[in-house]
Amino acid sequence: MKKEKILIANRGEIAIRIMMACEDLGCDYIVVYTHEDRESLHVRRAREKGPGKRTYRIASYKDPNEIFAVADQAGATAIHPGYGFFSENFRFARRATMRTRPITFIGPRWEVIRDLGSKINTKKVAKSLGIPVIPGSDSPIYSEIEAEALAEELFLQQREQGIRAPSVLVKASAGGGGMGIEEVQHLDTFRRVYRRIQNYAKRQFGDEGVLIEQCLRDYQHIEVQLLCDRHGTVTHFGTRNCTIQSTGRQKRVEVAPGFDPEVWDYSFDSLRVLKDITGHSVNLAREVGYDSAGTWEWVVTRDGRPYLLEVNTRIQVENEISACISRIRGREDTPVNLIREQIRTALGEKLGFTQKDIYFEGTSIELRIVAEDVKRGFAPWCGTITRFEFPQRPWARLYSHVPADKPYNIPTEYDPNLALAIIWGKDTGEAVERAGEFLLGSNIEGHNAKGEPVITNLAYLYDRLDDVLRF
Amino acid sequence: MDINLNDLLRHYRSNPYEEHEIRAPHTGVVKFRAEEGQQTFGPSGKWLHKPGTLLFLLERENNPKRITASFNGEVAGIRHELEGCFVEAGTLLLTIRHRLSKEEIIDRILTEVLSIFPAPQRARYYLPPETASQMDKKAEPSIFLKPGDDAIIMSLMKRDTMLKYEGTPGIIYKVYFHSGDMVERDAPLLGICPPDNLKYVQKVIQRIKNEWEE
Repeated sequence: MKKEKILIANRGEIAIRIMMACEDLGCDYIVVYTHEDRESLHVRRAREKGPGKRTYRIASYKDPNEIFAVADQAGATAIHPGYGFFSENFRFARRATMRTRPITFIGPRWEVIRDLGSKINTKKVAKSLGIPVIPGSDSPIYSEIEAEALAEELFLQQREQGIRAPSVLVKASAGGGGMGIEEVQHLDTFRRVYRRIQNYAKRQFGDEGVLIEQCLRDYQHIEVQLLCDRHGTVTHFGTRNCTIQSTGRQKRVEVAPGFDPEVWDYSFDSLRVLKDITGHSVNLAREVGYDSAGTWEWVVTRDGRPYLLEVNTRIQVENEISACISRIRGREDTPVNLIREQIRTALGEKLGFTQKDIYFEGTSIELRIVAEDVKRGFAPWCGTITRFEFPQRPWARLYSHVPADKPYNIPTEYDPNLALAIIWGKDTGEAVERAGEFLLGSNIEGHNAKGEPVITNLAYLYDRLDDVLRF
Repeated sequence: MDINLNDLLRHYRSNPYEEHEIRAPHTGVVKFRAEEGQQTFGPSGKWLHKPGTLLFLLERENNPKRITASFNGEVAGIRHELEGCFVEAGTLLLTIRHRLSKEEIIDRILTEVLSIFPAPQRARYYLPPETASQMDKKAEPSIFLKPGDDAIIMSLMKRDTMLKYEGTPGIIYKVYFHSGDMVERDAPLLGICPPDNLKYVQKVIQRIKNEWEE
């Protein structure tokens, strides 16, 4: 690989994981940070890497001019957007590759991001391939009357299907990651919710377009992890179950693989469903010429009906649980690292293996440790972390931007995510048991401005371990 | 509420200046245009459409941005060693010594007179759309708040929370932030005036207007 310098255009634990992948590949890197993140470990780690300037303070992670200005100043040859921010922004990816001084965008080609990054486009392409999608709007709605008419139709359809408590979801079209979504259970309240989401969408994303779709209540949220290269190789790294989420639809516990019939008795052939959705995902990837790491998100209803939700054309927070259960024949000594593979493929390398070489072993669980009050609707908690300790185990990995050796003020500009724990077990039972042991051994202390103790979701995560992979 | 207005005015008269640090709002190559000791002027015109004094250019991605003064004052502490250099966001570039205006003195003294609704967290704040539209329509303060009323939208950690008003019932006399501003914790958001105090507040304002010389 030629000498590359990668600008990491993100923050927190994902910035740290990208740094680790760069180090694995022997690539140099630089990081950007904002005033609020000056105490983050992602900044400290880059500063301590060695000689040379590796950290640049910017005004915002969301300002593309900042990212490109720093890239030029530092002589970066590629940009890794992580997740969120510019990771699914096709205009940013296009600008990176088409500017006077081109820079490699670590992600799919911009045309692919454009085609799949939009839920609406994805729905259209999927429909054309006969892939099942959730009933609802297939373009953003800007008119309240049009939105209400569609909602009325969806309520009617659900009643006709015999659904006792029908409901629809109102989503910010430009949103993602579970933000800007509300459920409406009665048509009478639709307009109020619609206006609220429209205002929220305008404030947060600058686009007041809204999507309306049927709300599926009883389902599991399943993902298929794909990894493709720019030479036509399409592989998948199995499935994940991301059903355990906060009330704001933020994932909290993820498990790979997506179902485990050894542990739970499903009312449908779960392995068949996983095979089907994996097949559909691979087909869609081939159709659009997908050429990077990506996640195909599905919902599977209690009676085993799958619907494609969206495609995330980026590395996912939970990518590592897929890597953790994956093995590549002949390379068993090197743990799979999807971020590393994503960088390699973006730089034009061939994957060097095919689907036949990939096999799976065990179960992996991701625990998202967050400063939040689950009893108050997962309200974010702001304050200072003074103690941050986790068990050291060979079967657990922890990624965090929170320094453990000094007090850390959680920036109020961003989500109060504190750490990700990745647990592996030879089967689901062992993985769950180990996740519980890990959580019980974790110790987080701190206080807010009023001196009240830190509130985290550790106890919630522990309680929810009983629910993994089950309807 | 009674205040010792004489003491307050004496305090501000003894040092009517504020030092404002002017930092790079974003990354870029800086080229200074102001000189040490130069008088600066803030935006002017009926709609504040005339920009203030040009302080420096900040060029990023071949786009030079003109950074102008947002208030009157005197330039000091220009960091000439950065001339022509790439600077990171937040780099201190110069300071402006600003003499407080009559309106600013009124604002500051009113925080002692009004019932202040402070920011509970460092966050971005917005007026509820209904409140903002009512304020746009009426020139005089007229929106009445009582405990439990929707007061302000706090946007924190990507979540919007409607803050309920807690405090003395009264009229929103002063809004201390611009919609979408990042406001530090405990900084004033709203200044509330109980109807019984309106005359007193107006009297205070009148006295400052009469006694403060610019």
